[in-house]
Amino acid sequence: MMRKMANVILLLLATALCYGLQVSKPHYAELIGPIPAYGKLGDAVVGRGFEARAAKVAFSRNLKVDRYGQTKVFTTGGIWAVVTVEFAASAQSTTVAVASWRGPTGLAYDQTERLSFADGLLPVAIDPGLPKKARLIFEVRPDEVSNATLLISEKLMSALDSQAEISLGPVAAGADGLPAETVDTLDLTQPI
Amino acid sequence: MTARSLDWESGQGERKWRRRSLWALLLLVPLALAGQAYDSVKTLLGGEDLFPRQVAWGQSAHFGGSDWKLTDLRGAFGMSSLPPDSVPVLADFSVKVGDPDLQKLWLGCKVMLIDAEGRRWSPTSAVSLKAPGDVHTCVSAIFSGARRGDTLNLRETFLVPRQATKTIRPAVGLASERPHFLFFQLEKD
Repeated sequence: MMRKMANVILLLLATALCYGLQVSKPHYAELIGPIPAYGKLGDAVVGRGFEARAAKVAFSRNLKVDRYGQTKVFTTGGIWAVVTVEFAASAQSTTVAVASWRGPTGLAYDQTERLSFADGLLPVAIDPGLPKKARLIFEVRPDEVSNATLLISEKLMSALDSQAEISLGPVAAGADGLPAETVDTLDLTQPI
Repeated sequence: MTARSLDWESGQGERKWRRRSLWALLLLVPLALAGQAYDSVKTLLGGEDLFPRQVAWGQSAHFGGSDWKLTDLRGAFGMSSLPPDSVPVLADFSVKVGDPDLQKLWLGCKVMLIDAEGRRWSPTSAVSLKAPGDVHTCVSAIFSGARRGDTLNLRETFLVPRQATKTIRPAVGLASERPHFLFFQLEKD
């Protein structure tokens, strides 16, 4: 009788252990997901193949760009967030192609595709010893601006490869709900 | 022979085989792991240029079915609108085609410059210098329709920091030859 009881208890314990393992195991996507390299605005964040330093963030209602020699102004229903980033390649030439803006509520915004012809946008090819600046441009909701995180990786499926996660810190909001430092028009025709 | 002694003997035999099996696991488990990982390791190594094959200056080396020779490596100084302290570098190769199936043998062709620290530069698109009509890049040569015995002139353009120009040497990798790659010595070496 005692032996039977002991067996039952052992079985229950094994079941509980297996269940615990099952619920606590990371999802497959997390196991092979990107490897984060953390930093904040102004830090040089070092990944496997590249280094990124977000120098400044600017907000504007409109963007002025050059399109085939003509000036064009892009408006938005939200706000434009323009991050100037300096990239450097570690040991070999590479291309940094993907960036997204993750707001405080977890909403993630990919780079805008509306300005694909403008200079200095990703993808940017970088060579060792030759740092290069680029602009990352996002069209976001004003309430996703403060305490956002910038995610940068070399390619879209950066499985088991570095992803720079740069926290951009709090941004003070003005009376209209937009960041206090929002400018009316940001001129992207100027060199970075 | 009694039943008891038979029992004892078979018990002994069983114990012996159990011990042998456990020892065999020491060999079989690593073998099974190696067998399982073989394809993955082969794919991993096949994607990287790991082991250099040195080619002396002026010599040609058989690689990917053709004979590769470095003919020139020079800097194009004095160009404007480039990052400060950067120099465009041109690497010229003369390749005598042996096996003309370049679309298979030259797949994944990668020409690079490697410096003394092991840093690697890939061809750049930031500099475009005019080249004579018969000069190909490694990738465009694949589709040139070259026949056996033809000689292809290849040129790749790189952008490297000025201080790295002292130690850079050209290298060529092809998917059909990886993980080996050609590493060319210069005249001054």
